[in-house]
Amino acid sequence: MNATPLSRRPLGCLKTSLRHVRQQKVLFSRSMATAVAAKAQQKPSPDALPDHNFFRLTDQKTKKLRSAFAVYTPPTALRGPPTPTSKNSKPDKVVPNAPIHGRVSGLVVVPSDPMPLLHAAQIKKMDPTGARTALFAKTRNAARVGDVLMVTHRRGGEPFAGVCLSIRRAGIDTAILLRNHLSKIGVEMWYKIYNRNVAGIEIIKRRARRARRARLTYMRQPKHDMGSVADLVHAWKKTRKVLTTRGAAKAGAKAAAAKAAAAAAKGKK
Amino acid sequence: MAPRLPAGCWRQLQQPSSLLNASPKLQTTTLLRPSATPSAPFSHTARRSVKYGWSTLPKHARPTRFNQVTAGLPSPTTGPAAAIKRRDHTTPLRTGVLAVKKGMTAYMGKTGARIPCTVLQLDRVQTIANKTRAKNGYWAVQVGLGDRRPDNVGAPMLGYYEAKGVAPKQILAEFPVRSAAGLLPVGVQLLPDWFHIGQWVDVRANSRGMGFAGGMKRHGFKGQEASHGNSKNHRTIGTVGPSQGGGSRVYPGKKMPGRMGNQRVTMQNLPVLMVDNELGIVVVKGCVAGPKGCIVKIQDAVKKPPPPQAFIERTRKVLDTRFPDAEEVLEAARKKHMELKKARQEGRIELLLTEGVVVAESDRAAPAEVLA
Repeated sequence: MNATPLSRRPLGCLKTSLRHVRQQKVLFSRSMATAVAAKAQQKPSPDALPDHNFFRLTDQKTKKLRSAFAVYTPPTALRGPPTPTSKNSKPDKVVPNAPIHGRVSGLVVVPSDPMPLLHAAQIKKMDPTGARTALFAKTRNAARVGDVLMVTHRRGGEPFAGVCLSIRRAGIDTAILLRNHLSKIGVEMWYKIYNRNVAGIEIIKRRARRARRARLTYMRQPKHDMGSVADLVHAWKKTRKVLTTRGAAKAGAKAAAAKAAAAAAKGKK
Repeated sequence: MAPRLPAGCWRQLQQPSSLLNASPKLQTTTLLRPSATPSAPFSHTARRSVKYGWSTLPKHARPTRFNQVTAGLPSPTTGPAAAIKRRDHTTPLRTGVLAVKKGMTAYMGKTGARIPCTVLQLDRVQTIANKTRAKNGYWAVQVGLGDRRPDNVGAPMLGYYEAKGVAPKQILAEFPVRSAAGLLPVGVQLLPDWFHIGQWVDVRANSRGMGFAGGMKRHGFKGQEASHGNSKNHRTIGTVGPSQGGGSRVYPGKKMPGRMGNQRVTMQNLPVLMVDNELGIVVVKGCVAGPKGCIVKIQDAVKKPPPPQAFIERTRKVLDTRFPDAEEVLEAARKKHMELKKARQEGRIELLLTEGVVVAESDRAAPAEVLA
């Protein structure tokens, strides 16, 4: 700022000079701000521009170049004959599965089919041990259509057993269809195998031979209907009791306790 | 309230005036105006200062524009400004995104809930342009999705993308926003974390096209009976209007056979169940119109409160950190576009390509740096 007019003013004019200083202060601060802004608003460097190539438009008849446009796609993504790029540009590198934009301002390229990945992530979350996946995997030991299965609920209730008519494989939404007879009425239930409400699935009885259909809908016909699987479940439970000693020991202890209580009651009498 | 008078005026009142010998009332009124006093030695002295009197009007009061056509009338209820104000509360604060419908699946909750959901994928969603009130009459953000081979793009659009510094897009769409605060820098990528889990979105898509369908399929007409003398008219729609009493004409809007589907369907207030930046997906509850692979528009729900202000600010900040040089890139792209455009107009684009150097008037000294 020009300070000479200030010096020429009378010394006693304090109010005026103070006002002047105030104005100058504003001016100074503004000039500093604009200086910073000017620095930030520098000429855009050519490095800021992402990689690009030229797309050529040629005349169909004369085969002459009609026009050309800069296309901000790396050369590998361009179709047609390779166009000569500028001298400064790097040689084209064909990198399989490379993100189409590469370094272009950190543009994220996503997988073209996210569904299997989403299913895998969900299954990992809902079935950390992999037991449910293994039970219905396409392996020799896995459960198959025609096997008699029993589903236990998380919130108690009677487990539902029945012959598996079909397995609808749909990632996290995979479901099984069980058929049984309850009080001589055919009942079919769908169960989502990855649902938290399904506490456990057991194989009651395996089918003797592999079913030659994916969906055993014919088992709904009276001729092929399996009827109730209650006796199969009963037999399976028996074998379980034989195999596990804990339940038997518990039952024995209970009986002993009851006996003792009865004896004590007798003694009191 | 009478204005306070400066001391000078009172002094003049007290002094006996030789010039004015009229009635005392007139005398005082005249003397109240200091400007009219001829006793002042220099009549042209500045009288704008405080000591020459003041007014009780507010400082920068302007007179009422009483003679205008609109004086005293309420603000207009029609016109562009009124239309924008009317749509204010039904316009989202933020821009939406374009996405591709990838299919439906189920979301398994931890408490055993199974929620049917739709997977929408955001494939290289970028902001392309901003529409402003001053220039276009409304606020909106133009967003692009995916990519497109340049030989599938016309010359005008090639130039458009060239000026934006982005690769050609599969599709462009505009998303209206409420104000300038909703505009975004050009060229930034919008990822699924633009939305948060639990927020409500409106999802728009074109439904499946059914082709030319009859009245029974298209509008749920009953059709006609199988027998009782009916001949070859079992699925036809029957009569289309009353006779002479009704004007003997078909009323406008009569439901008839025609093209069914492929219309825009908006699913309102769908909760967002999942967002995943790595897979690029937004999972919304329920179904969305259209087949797999169709393009959908996702935007904050109109009929629900907008996302919290803190979240909006955070997403903006994230954009700024991810793309700090968006402005520079756009500026450089624009500059380059202008250079190339000039070269195209002057017919020296071929020369430019063979030489591989763009020489602008301002950058003749360093031609190599211009074409990076």
